Amino acid sequence: MGKIDVLNGNKAAAYGAKLARVELLAAYPITPQTPLVEYLATYVADGEIDADLVEVESEHSALSVLQGGVLAGARTFTGTSSQGLALMYEPYIRTSTMRMPIVMALVTREVISPQTVWGGQQDAVTVREAGWIQIWCETVQEILDTVVQAYKIAENKEVLIPVNVCYDGFSLSHMAERVELPDQELVDQFLPASDISHLKLDPAKPMSVDPLTAGPMLTEFRHKQVTAMKRAEEVIEEVRQEWAEKFGRDHGGMIDTYRMEDAEIAIVCLGSPAGTARVVIDQMREQGIKVGMLRIRVLRPFPVEAVKQILSKVKAIGVIDRNVSFAAGFGISYLEVKQAFGGEKMPPMLDFIGGLGGSDVTLANIGDAVLLTQYVANGGKWKDVTWFGLDPIDFEQLDQSKLRKMMGDDQDDELLRGVIS
Amino acid sequence: MGVKDGERDNVNFSTIPKGAKPTLVKDDSFFTKKRFGFIFNEEKQIKEAYKEITKVEDMLSPGNSACLGCHAELALRTTLRILGPNTILAIPPGCMGGIGVVGFQGGAGTKIPVFFPLLDNTAAMLAGIKRAYRRQGRDDINVVAFAGDGGTADAGFQSLSGAAERGENIIYICYDNEAYMNTGVQRSGTTPKWSWTQTTPIGDGSRGKSQKGKDMPMIMAQHGIPYVATANPSFLPDYIEKLKKAMQVKNGMSYIHLYSGCPTGWKFPTEKTIEVGKIAVETNLYPLWECENGKFKLTHKVWKRRPISDYTQSMQKYAHLSPEEISELQGIVDSNYKRLEKLCKL
Repeated sequence: MGKIDVLNGNKAAAYGAKLARVELLAAYPITPQTPLVEYLATYVADGEIDADLVEVESEHSALSVLQGGVLAGARTFTGTSSQGLALMYEPYIRTSTMRMPIVMALVTREVISPQTVWGGQQDAVTVREAGWIQIWCETVQEILDTVVQAYKIAENKEVLIPVNVCYDGFSLSHMAERVELPDQELVDQFLPASDISHLKLDPAKPMSVDPLTAGPMLTEFRHKQVTAMKRAEEVIEEVRQEWAEKFGRDHGGMIDTYRMEDAEIAIVCLGSPAGTARVVIDQMREQGIKVGMLRIRVLRPFPVEAVKQILSKVKAIGVIDRNVSFAAGFGISYLEVKQAFGGEKMPPMLDFIGGLGGSDVTLANIGDAVLLTQYVANGGKWKDVTWFGLDPIDFEQLDQSKLRKMMGDDQDDELLRGVIS
Repeated sequence: MGVKDGERDNVNFSTIPKGAKPTLVKDDSFFTKKRFGFIFNEEKQIKEAYKEITKVEDMLSPGNSACLGCHAELALRTTLRILGPNTILAIPPGCMGGIGVVGFQGGAGTKIPVFFPLLDNTAAMLAGIKRAYRRQGRDDINVVAFAGDGGTADAGFQSLSGAAERGENIIYICYDNEAYMNTGVQRSGTTPKWSWTQTTPIGDGSRGKSQKGKDMPMIMAQHGIPYVATANPSFLPDYIEKLKKAMQVKNGMSYIHLYSGCPTGWKFPTEKTIEVGKIAVETNLYPLWECENGKFKLTHKVWKRRPISDYTQSMQKYAHLSPEEISELQGIVDSNYKRLEKLCKL
């Protein structure tokens, strides 16, 4: 076992990149990713990472420098957030279509307007069709481990798709946790030196990269990209297994579940609210409510089969979303789960939107979600979308007031205090 | 097919005053007159230069679809001959991409590694390539951009300026045909004052582009990079020498700004490209200079400056100009040249 340290999410991501022995780094600071850039710079300055750090003038150039690096065969790393991702979008979408195995920490944040710098998931879910693999983390340990795993997935010759390691801004990026640091030697065994040569620009072997391509060939390219995404699902599971065997830790593969074995209702989470949900589920279980959690660990490719298989067994589903879709006023996770079932019969499902712009998804919020989901599971009627803090919930009417009282009110929460002490 | 000048379907001539025809001034450039000994020397240089470049392999595949009389294609062929096979080439979207330099449907456009960057990230991508190769101990590879004025002075400027400031060891060549020619003659940041383009047409409310063009080579010189030069494919020996100097730079960026005459977009007869390029230099509109480690130097002395009207009359994009406007243009040329002369004396 490696050393134990206390790291925040950004430092864990930087440490993961160090363990992966990245060769070329380029990043532009943006809240809440900024400390990540500082940690990387410090690692390079201290000689802990043997890499070139390019101090670029924008996010657009950050990813562009890495694309150049890949064209010369280098293992590369960067990170971004929100508006930085928006500025990066042009090279971002091209990273995946050029099949460049770049790994990027996506420290998720709300997008403006109104002006905001705090957490949320809107930036990442907005680019989910850009062809990147998106792995969402729940803990700081998972961030570190996933960054290393991401290279193994991205550089797999049958995948060659860039990976976003997504973690919620502030909730994870700035939260310090106990973290096990894997041994470099063990990581080297797990992840050999990079061998990226499928699009290398080498004067000894001249090649034209990305020439003008007309419809039929482009269609074939896109089809291959989709096929590789499908293959990535298997590779993600393989990497999960190998990681668990070597390092003794398992964060899940495409999905992660908690107390789902005998669950009658399920809470679906993406990212940091999952940690809060675990506490709520334990409490609710004590009250006799058979609730479990399904955490969507990989948003792209989407774990269609796993989601269907697990969620079709429950009586009702409550989805927690820190993001919105303008399709029909739902959150993205809700739409994705619904899409996974297609037209097939599925349990009733409720969507809960909250945690936008850095507001918390509290224990009480998730408690409400569980109670309402259970109410629906028992045949009650409730509207499809509930916005935490905006939509009033009359628990007297639902005959759940006793349980609701147990959850306390938002921040001033007995359970929360219990967790902190 | 015999398409007559002025009848190309991709150029809209409706905005040009009727009856305006390009009147090429009789070529009395000293280049062809053997009046002085230095002219003889220069002809000798040209012959030697041609001998030199034709001895080495042409790295640009035959059969590209450049317009007749394209200055940039000539420049690119020469550039690749000088750079040689140990080169990685970036061709951002623009005329050279459009003519098939990067390739099309499985065919390659050059005999060296080549790729399309985005319009606006050429310098950053090249920086990444250079850094990665340097780490692999392969510092000998020329990492080169051949970009149009849009990808350089406009959309690509942020990336270029950032790379220059960071001292990225790349060679950046801009071929400046003074508009977005690949998309059909729309104004760019380097389009000169009063030039006709499709987006700065001539009409009751418009006399062409109303602003002066960006002085890109001067802007790049102010970045303090080791080597900046202007060049012109009509003066190949001068360009070849500058490119060789650029290749020797190891401590930062080299930037070469290439004048690039465009018969299609500027509307002059296709066989007059070299001549128009010469007039640009001989009117002092496009003086040939270099700035090596901060030291400015004129590399081609114009002995008898020609009036700017010789230039404006050589193409239709200035056909609408009034005598007053021509004299104002002359004023701009003179003051730019005076400033350059002063810089060269520093």
